[in-house]
Amino acid sequence: MLSSLFDSSTLPVLEQVVNFTQARHGVLAGNIANIDTPGYKTRDISPDEFQSRLKEAVEARWQKNISPTYEINAQLAGRDKVIGHDGMDKVRESVKSILYHDNSNVGIEQQVAEITKNHALHNLALSLMTAQFRLMRTAITERV
Amino acid sequence: MFNALDISTSALVAQRTRLDVISSNLANISTTRNERGEAAPYTPRYVMFETDPEVATRGGGEGVKVASVEYSNVQPSLKYEPGHPDANEQGYVAYPNIDMTTEFVDALEATRAYEANVGVIEITKDLGQQTLQILA
Repeated sequence: MLSSLFDSSTLPVLEQVVNFTQARHGVLAGNIANIDTPGYKTRDISPDEFQSRLKEAVEARWQKNISPTYEINAQLAGRDKVIGHDGMDKVRESVKSILYHDNSNVGIEQQVAEITKNHALHNLALSLMTAQFRLMRTAITERV
Repeated sequence: MFNALDISTSALVAQRTRLDVISSNLANISTTRNERGEAAPYTPRYVMFETDPEVATRGGGEGVKVASVEYSNVQPSLKYEPGHPDANEQGYVAYPNIDMTTEFVDALEATRAYEANVGVIEITKDLGQQTLQILA
Protein backbone atom coordinates (compact mmCIF):
# COMPACT_ATOMS: atom_id res chain seq x y z
CA MET A 1 0.00 0.00 0.00
CA LEU A 2 2.70 2.45 1.00
CA SER A 3 4.84 1.78 -2.06
CA SER A 4 1.91 2.29 -4.38
CA LEU A 5 1.01 5.46 -2.52
CA PHE A 6 4.47 6.85 -3.22
CA ASP A 7 4.86 5.41 -6.72
CA SER A 8 1.65 6.99 -7.91
CA SER A 9 3.05 10.47 -7.31
CA THR A 10 6.05 12.16 -8.89
CA LEU A 11 8.20 10.95 -5.99
CA PRO A 12 10.00 8.17 -7.93
CA VAL A 13 11.03 10.70 -10.58
CA LEU A 14 12.19 13.23 -7.98
CA GLU A 15 14.01 10.46 -6.15
CA GLN A 16 16.02 9.74 -9.28
CA VAL A 17 16.83 13.42 -9.72
CA VAL A 18 18.11 13.65 -6.13
CA ASN A 19 20.03 10.41 -6.63
CA PHE A 20 21.64 11.77 -9.75
CA THR A 21 22.51 15.18 -8.35
CA GLN A 22 24.09 13.62 -5.27
CA ALA A 23 26.22 11.30 -7.40
CA ARG A 24 27.22 14.17 -9.69
CA HIS A 25 28.02 16.40 -6.73
CA GLY A 26 30.56 13.84 -5.55
CA VAL A 27 32.19 13.66 -8.95
CA LEU A 28 32.36 17.46 -9.35
CA ALA A 29 33.72 17.86 -5.82
CA GLY A 30 36.43 15.40 -6.80
CA ASN A 31 37.28 17.54 -9.82
CA ILE A 32 37.63 20.63 -7.66
CA ALA A 33 39.72 18.75 -5.12
CA ASN A 34 42.06 17.63 -7.91
CA ILE A 35 42.23 21.00 -9.66
CA ASP A 36 46.03 21.10 -9.24
CA THR A 37 46.71 17.38 -9.68
CA PRO A 38 48.96 16.90 -12.71
CA GLY A 39 47.47 14.72 -15.42
CA TYR A 40 44.09 14.56 -13.71
CA LYS A 41 41.28 14.12 -16.18
CA THR A 42 38.04 15.90 -15.40
CA ARG A 43 35.20 13.52 -14.72
CA ASP A 44 31.51 14.08 -15.10
CA ILE A 45 28.23 12.24 -15.12
CA SER A 46 26.33 13.38 -18.18
CA PRO A 47 23.21 15.32 -17.13
CA ASP A 48 21.90 15.19 -20.71
CA GLU A 49 22.08 11.40 -20.74
CA PHE A 50 20.31 11.31 -17.39
CA GLN A 51 17.63 13.75 -18.51
CA SER A 52 16.90 11.85 -21.71
CA ARG A 53 16.68 8.52 -19.87
CA LEU A 54 14.46 10.09 -17.26
CA LYS A 55 12.24 11.46 -20.02
CA GLU A 56 12.00 8.01 -21.60
CA ALA A 57 11.16 6.45 -18.25
CA VAL A 58 8.51 9.04 -17.49
CA GLU A 59 6.97 8.61 -20.94
CA ALA A 60 7.03 4.84 -20.55
CA ARG A 61 5.22 5.19 -17.25
CA TRP A 62 2.58 7.29 -18.94
CA GLN A 63 2.24 4.90 -21.85
CA LYS A 64 1.60 2.06 -19.45
CA ASN A 65 -1.40 4.17 -18.58
CA ILE A 66 -0.20 4.81 -15.11
CA SER A 67 -2.15 7.89 -14.25
CA PRO A 68 -1.24 9.54 -10.95
CA THR A 69 -3.96 7.60 -9.18
CA TYR A 70 -3.73 4.41 -11.25
CA GLU A 71 -1.92 2.30 -8.71
CA ILE A 72 -4.17 3.25 -5.84
CA ASN A 73 -7.20 2.61 -8.00
CA ALA A 74 -5.70 -0.69 -9.13
CA GLN A 75 -5.28 -1.81 -5.57
CA LEU A 76 -8.73 -0.69 -4.58
CA ALA A 77 -10.17 -2.55 -7.56
CA GLY A 78 -8.05 -5.63 -6.84
CA ARG A 79 -6.22 -5.49 -10.17
CA ASP A 80 -2.78 -7.08 -10.51
CA LYS A 81 0.29 -4.96 -10.72
CA VAL A 82 4.01 -5.46 -10.78
CA ILE A 83 5.28 -4.79 -7.31
CA GLY A 84 8.62 -3.13 -6.78
CA HIS A 85 9.16 -1.90 -10.28
CA ASP A 86 8.95 1.79 -10.89
CA GLY A 87 10.34 1.70 -14.45
CA MET A 88 13.46 3.63 -13.45
CA ASP A 89 16.09 0.93 -14.11
CA LYS A 90 17.58 2.65 -17.14
CA VAL A 91 17.76 5.92 -15.24
CA ARG A 92 19.69 4.24 -12.44
CA GLU A 93 22.08 2.84 -15.02
CA SER A 94 22.84 6.28 -16.46
CA VAL A 95 24.04 7.49 -13.07
CA LYS A 96 26.77 4.84 -13.14
CA SER A 97 28.30 5.86 -16.48
CA ILE A 98 31.18 8.27 -16.04
CA LEU A 99 32.50 10.22 -18.99
CA TYR A 100 36.21 10.89 -19.18
CA HIS A 101 36.95 14.06 -21.11
CA ASP A 102 40.29 14.32 -22.82
CA ASN A 103 40.89 17.99 -22.15
CA SER A 104 42.24 17.88 -18.63
CA ASN A 105 42.46 21.64 -18.36
CA VAL A 106 38.98 22.53 -17.26
CA GLY A 107 39.16 25.52 -14.96
CA ILE A 108 37.78 26.07 -11.50
CA GLU A 109 35.12 28.45 -12.82
CA GLN A 110 33.40 25.85 -14.99
CA GLN A 111 33.48 23.29 -12.21
CA VAL A 112 32.03 25.71 -9.69
CA ALA A 113 29.33 26.76 -12.17
CA GLU A 114 28.42 23.11 -12.76
CA ILE A 115 28.34 22.35 -9.06
CA THR A 116 26.10 25.40 -8.53
CA LYS A 117 23.65 24.24 -11.21
CA ASN A 118 23.71 20.76 -9.74
CA HIS A 119 23.07 22.18 -6.28
CA ALA A 120 20.08 24.16 -7.59
CA LEU A 121 18.62 21.06 -9.27
CA HIS A 122 19.09 19.04 -6.09
CA ASN A 123 17.33 21.65 -3.98
CA LEU A 124 14.54 21.95 -6.53
CA ALA A 125 13.85 18.22 -6.44
CA LEU A 126 14.03 18.12 -2.65
CA SER A 127 11.66 21.08 -2.27
CA LEU A 128 9.16 19.44 -4.60
CA MET A 129 9.44 16.22 -2.62
CA THR A 130 8.87 18.10 0.63
CA ALA A 131 5.79 19.73 -0.87
CA GLN A 132 4.47 16.30 -1.91
CA PHE A 133 5.00 14.90 1.57
CA ARG A 134 3.33 17.94 3.07
CA LEU A 135 0.30 17.35 0.86
CA MET A 136 0.24 13.72 1.93
CA ARG A 137 0.45 14.65 5.58
CA THR A 138 -2.37 17.14 5.19
CA ALA A 139 -4.49 14.37 3.70
CA ILE A 140 -3.56 11.93 6.47
CA THR A 141 -4.11 14.29 9.38
CA GLU A 142 -7.31 15.61 7.80
CA ARG A 143 -6.30 19.05 8.95
CA VAL A 144 -6.04 22.02 6.66
CA MET B 1 21.50 23.93 -23.32
CA PHE B 2 23.06 26.98 -21.74
CA ASN B 3 21.77 29.46 -19.24
CA ALA B 4 22.81 32.79 -17.78
CA LEU B 5 25.16 30.98 -15.43
CA ASP B 6 27.25 29.70 -18.33
CA ILE B 7 27.51 33.17 -19.84
CA SER B 8 28.78 34.58 -16.55
CA THR B 9 31.19 31.65 -16.24
CA SER B 10 32.59 32.33 -19.72
CA ALA B 11 33.23 35.93 -18.63
CA LEU B 12 34.97 34.74 -15.46
CA VAL B 13 37.30 32.56 -17.51
CA ALA B 14 37.99 35.38 -19.98
CA GLN B 15 38.70 37.97 -17.28
CA ARG B 16 40.97 35.58 -15.41
CA THR B 17 42.93 34.96 -18.62
CA ARG B 18 43.23 38.74 -19.03
CA LEU B 19 44.51 39.04 -15.47
CA ASP B 20 47.02 36.23 -16.14
CA VAL B 21 48.37 38.12 -19.15
CA ILE B 22 48.59 41.38 -17.18
CA SER B 23 50.54 39.53 -14.47
CA SER B 24 52.84 38.22 -17.16
CA ASN B 25 53.38 41.73 -18.55
CA LEU B 26 54.16 43.14 -15.10
CA ALA B 27 56.39 40.22 -14.13
CA ASN B 28 58.43 40.70 -17.29
CA ILE B 29 58.67 44.48 -17.06
CA SER B 30 62.50 44.27 -16.91
CA THR B 31 63.03 41.14 -19.01
CA THR B 32 65.70 41.75 -21.64
CA ARG B 33 66.16 38.21 -22.88
CA ASN B 34 63.85 35.68 -24.47
CA GLU B 35 63.41 32.04 -23.40
CA ARG B 36 66.51 30.99 -25.39
CA GLY B 37 68.71 33.48 -23.55
CA GLU B 38 69.09 35.78 -26.58
CA ALA B 39 69.04 39.53 -26.07
CA ALA B 40 65.44 40.25 -27.12
CA PRO B 41 63.13 42.23 -24.82
CA TYR B 42 59.83 40.72 -23.72
CA THR B 43 56.94 41.80 -25.94
CA PRO B 44 53.83 42.91 -24.03
CA ARG B 45 50.78 40.78 -24.74
CA TYR B 46 47.12 41.60 -25.14
CA VAL B 47 44.12 39.30 -24.75
CA MET B 48 41.57 39.45 -27.54
CA PHE B 49 37.97 38.81 -26.47
CA GLU B 50 35.19 37.84 -28.84
CA THR B 51 31.55 36.88 -28.39
CA ASP B 52 31.01 33.15 -28.21
CA PRO B 53 27.85 32.01 -30.04
CA GLU B 54 28.46 28.50 -28.64
CA VAL B 55 27.44 29.81 -25.22
CA ALA B 56 24.16 31.58 -25.90
CA THR B 57 20.79 31.79 -24.21
CA ARG B 58 17.46 31.82 -25.97
CA GLY B 59 16.99 35.45 -24.98
CA GLY B 60 19.89 36.47 -27.22
CA GLY B 61 22.55 36.62 -24.51
CA GLU B 62 25.97 35.60 -25.72
CA GLY B 63 29.03 34.48 -23.81
CA VAL B 64 32.59 35.61 -24.30
CA LYS B 65 35.73 33.69 -25.15
CA VAL B 66 39.41 34.42 -25.51
CA ALA B 67 40.03 34.56 -29.27
CA SER B 68 43.80 34.83 -28.97
CA VAL B 69 46.65 36.34 -27.03
CA GLU B 70 48.49 38.76 -29.30
CA TYR B 71 51.77 40.61 -29.14
CA SER B 72 51.91 44.37 -28.84
CA ASN B 73 53.61 46.08 -31.78
CA VAL B 74 55.03 48.87 -29.66
CA GLN B 75 58.80 49.45 -29.98
CA PRO B 76 60.97 48.52 -26.96
CA SER B 77 62.13 51.43 -24.83
CA LEU B 78 65.87 52.04 -24.95
CA LYS B 79 67.78 52.80 -21.79
CA TYR B 80 71.40 53.96 -21.77
CA GLU B 81 73.32 51.33 -19.78
CA PRO B 82 76.73 50.84 -21.39
CA GLY B 83 77.94 48.24 -18.89
CA HIS B 84 74.90 45.98 -19.36
CA PRO B 85 75.71 42.63 -21.04
CA ASP B 86 72.68 43.06 -23.32
CA ALA B 87 73.56 46.60 -24.40
CA ASN B 88 74.00 47.30 -28.14
CA GLU B 89 77.00 49.04 -29.76
CA GLN B 90 75.69 52.46 -28.74
CA GLY B 91 75.34 51.29 -25.13
CA TYR B 92 71.53 51.11 -25.12
CA VAL B 93 69.59 48.24 -23.57
CA ALA B 94 66.17 47.40 -25.05
CA TYR B 95 63.59 47.05 -22.28
CA PRO B 96 59.94 46.01 -22.77
CA ASN B 97 57.79 49.09 -23.32
CA ILE B 98 55.31 48.38 -20.54
CA ASP B 99 53.55 51.18 -18.70
CA MET B 100 52.99 50.02 -15.14
CA THR B 101 50.11 52.44 -14.54
CA THR B 102 48.22 51.26 -17.61
CA GLU B 103 48.74 47.63 -16.64
CA PHE B 104 47.54 48.29 -13.10
CA VAL B 105 44.42 50.08 -14.27
CA ASP B 106 43.81 47.16 -16.64
CA ALA B 107 44.26 44.69 -13.78
CA LEU B 108 41.82 46.65 -11.67
CA GLU B 109 39.31 46.69 -14.51
CA ALA B 110 39.65 42.91 -14.99
CA THR B 111 39.15 42.39 -11.26
CA ARG B 112 36.06 44.60 -11.21
CA ALA B 113 34.66 42.81 -14.27
CA TYR B 114 35.27 39.47 -12.55
CA GLU B 115 33.47 40.74 -9.44
CA ALA B 116 30.59 42.05 -11.52
CA ASN B 117 30.15 38.63 -13.11
CA VAL B 118 30.26 36.91 -9.73
CA GLY B 119 27.52 39.37 -8.74
CA VAL B 120 25.45 38.36 -11.77
CA ILE B 121 25.92 34.70 -10.85
CA GLU B 122 24.58 35.45 -7.36
CA ILE B 123 21.56 37.20 -8.90
CA THR B 124 20.94 34.27 -11.25
CA LYS B 125 21.05 31.88 -8.30
CA ASP B 126 18.70 34.12 -6.36
CA LEU B 127 16.23 34.20 -9.28
CA GLY B 128 16.14 30.41 -9.29
CA GLN B 129 15.63 30.40 -5.55
CA GLN B 130 12.71 32.83 -5.84
CA THR B 131 11.06 30.65 -8.49
CA LEU B 132 11.49 27.66 -6.24
CA GLN B 133 9.67 29.46 -3.44
CA ILE B 134 6.61 29.78 -5.67
CA LEU B 135 6.79 26.12 -6.72
CA ALA B 136 7.22 24.56 -3.33
